[in-house]
Amino acid sequence: MSQFNRREFIKTLAAASSASALAFPSIARAAAKARVIVIGGGYGGATAAKYVKLLDPGIDVTLIEPNKTYTSCPLSNEVISGYRDIKTLQIGYDGLKKRGVNVLQDLVVGVDRAKKTVTLQGGKTLQYDAMVMSPGVEFHYNTLEGYSEAVINDIPHAWKAGEQTLILKKQLEAMPDGGKFVIVVPKGPFRCPPGPYERASQVASYLKHHGKAKSKIIILDANDSHSKKGLFQQAWKALYGFEKEGLGTSGMIEWVKASEGGNVNKLDAATKTVHSDFVDLKADVLNIIPPHKAGKIAVTADLAKADGWCKVVPMTMASAEDEAIYTIGDSCVAGEMALYGNPNANFDMPKSAHIAMTQAKVAAAAIVAKVNGLPTPTPYYANTCYSIVDEGYGFSVAHQYRVVDGTFKYIKEGSGISPMAMPDKSPVPPIYRKLEAEYADGWLRNVMADAFG
Amino acid sequence: MNKKAYLALAAVCLVFQGAPVQAGDDIEGLARTCYGCHGTNGVSVGQSMPSIAGLSADYLKTVMMEWKSGARASANMTRLISGYSDAEIAGLASYFSKLPWTPQVQKTSKETLAKGKAASDRCESCHGVTGGEPDGDDIPRLNGQWAKYLELELMKYRDEAFQMSHKKMIKNARKLDEGEVNSVAEYFGAQSK
Repeated sequence: MSQFNRREFIKTLAAASSASALAFPSIARAAAKARVIVIGGGYGGATAAKYVKLLDPGIDVTLIEPNKTYTSCPLSNEVISGYRDIKTLQIGYDGLKKRGVNVLQDLVVGVDRAKKTVTLQGGKTLQYDAMVMSPGVEFHYNTLEGYSEAVINDIPHAWKAGEQTLILKKQLEAMPDGGKFVIVVPKGPFRCPPGPYERASQVASYLKHHGKAKSKIIILDANDSHSKKGLFQQAWKALYGFEKEGLGTSGMIEWVKASEGGNVNKLDAATKTVHSDFVDLKADVLNIIPPHKAGKIAVTADLAKADGWCKVVPMTMASAEDEAIYTIGDSCVAGEMALYGNPNANFDMPKSAHIAMTQAKVAAAAIVAKVNGLPTPTPYYANTCYSIVDEGYGFSVAHQYRVVDGTFKYIKEGSGISPMAMPDKSPVPPIYRKLEAEYADGWLRNVMADAFG
Repeated sequence: MNKKAYLALAAVCLVFQGAPVQAGDDIEGLARTCYGCHGTNGVSVGQSMPSIAGLSADYLKTVMMEWKSGARASANMTRLISGYSDAEIAGLASYFSKLPWTPQVQKTSKETLAKGKAASDRCESCHGVTGGEPDGDDIPRLNGQWAKYLELELMKYRDEAFQMSHKKMIKNARKLDEGEVNSVAEYFGAQSK
């Protein structure tokens, strides 16, 4: 917001106090300020906290997050391959504190929606007028036979970045030439839809450039298709000798879809062997991405009622279950998924950092408007998501969503993947892939600063 | 809610619908979706991404409209821009043009500066000596823009496979030699004014 606009906005807010008394009677009784609690300090939660404070500094904002440092999941596959230092993905909460956000290093263990309070592991109970619920995802290890949290140091997921990312990196480095690196992909929707395939690409890049080109990367996928599939397979063909879909093919990367045995249902952790209906596979490095759903606290608060995810009101990102709570980020499902019973299921929003941040901004603007008795602002949702498959080779997908007649509308004209070919059917010039690989890093620096700075 | 209270609220809402903050709020909300890549308030902290705050409305609008029409290529903006109406594009251009230009002054060696200054002779008549005094509303500022971004832009102008629209820029960018591209970019990146 420009200085001019901010001044105007605050003036308007001051003038709106009579309206806020109507829209938010509890605040009018208690104090001039509203209390906003944000649960979870990832991209979504940090952005929500920052933007509530930016749009109305008079609102009291408290962010509750157990970790002192956040590690970005986006671009963490580049850490596994050695192209990126994990430190470039890490950031603390000092930026938010400087903006006047109260940051509590604690864990929310209970929510009393009737009393509008949250209970922290440390024992405190806090009152809220509005809450942003942005807890990310909870892994459900027990849905795969033989798998549990106890094995993750040996069989890392690396699907929450940090220590896990470094464990997988170490295992890759220790893998001999000719080894098998197996990636197990859960049934969607899952966090970071192109992530498993970008990971396979990064691992391939590492192996190719470290004299281990005889190795195999086998993706066992519980789905029959995936994000940016055409772009990935085109790149794998050009870079890593990909032959075709299916197990037992030549080339470094093999992709096995669900209907051809990709759906893993059993693990023998001791031998790193996975079993599906048709396949038994022993891995040298085994990377299981656990099935996941909305974060635990969203379930505890009884908000994750859409097949384990949080359903939202499109105009504001408020929970469909509770108008005082805004459920954003990976824990929510936004868009017309098949699970909503709509046969014409539209593209639902991907679980990405960028989407979580635009959802956070919509929620922040809606909260500020509500607190001040102003009309709900028009919501805009957008996503840009880059995948890097080798040095100087990247591509992206863009999504835009608006709200029409109270429902999400996927804006097809403003969305889509990087080109597979030029309009005259000629191959895409290398400069396109090079530019997008460069843009990914610029994007990372800006999303981290926009959320945490 | 009783009738009296409802009427009071309705009156307040009416007042706010007419207030400037409400009129601008839609474009501001839309602009916030640009911050992910271009930085909070359009000031980029990522070297490959341009700052867009404080560039002229004319320039911003022209570039966006050229992406939309297909006259100008982009690795990704051509996709996103097609989701915006012409009025929204004009609104975004105007919004970002009113924010202050915030140069990110980057350090470089004396040799590179000297080489860049010499090679940027041909840039001067349109962009000004330091890139900070564009000669016309459709010309972008370059002072304190990210050198990495400027280098990538020059790469686009120099690559025949990448469709750019500005004939004069294409001609001049292709006159630079490989080494000059980098020094010109770093020269402008180092300028504060």
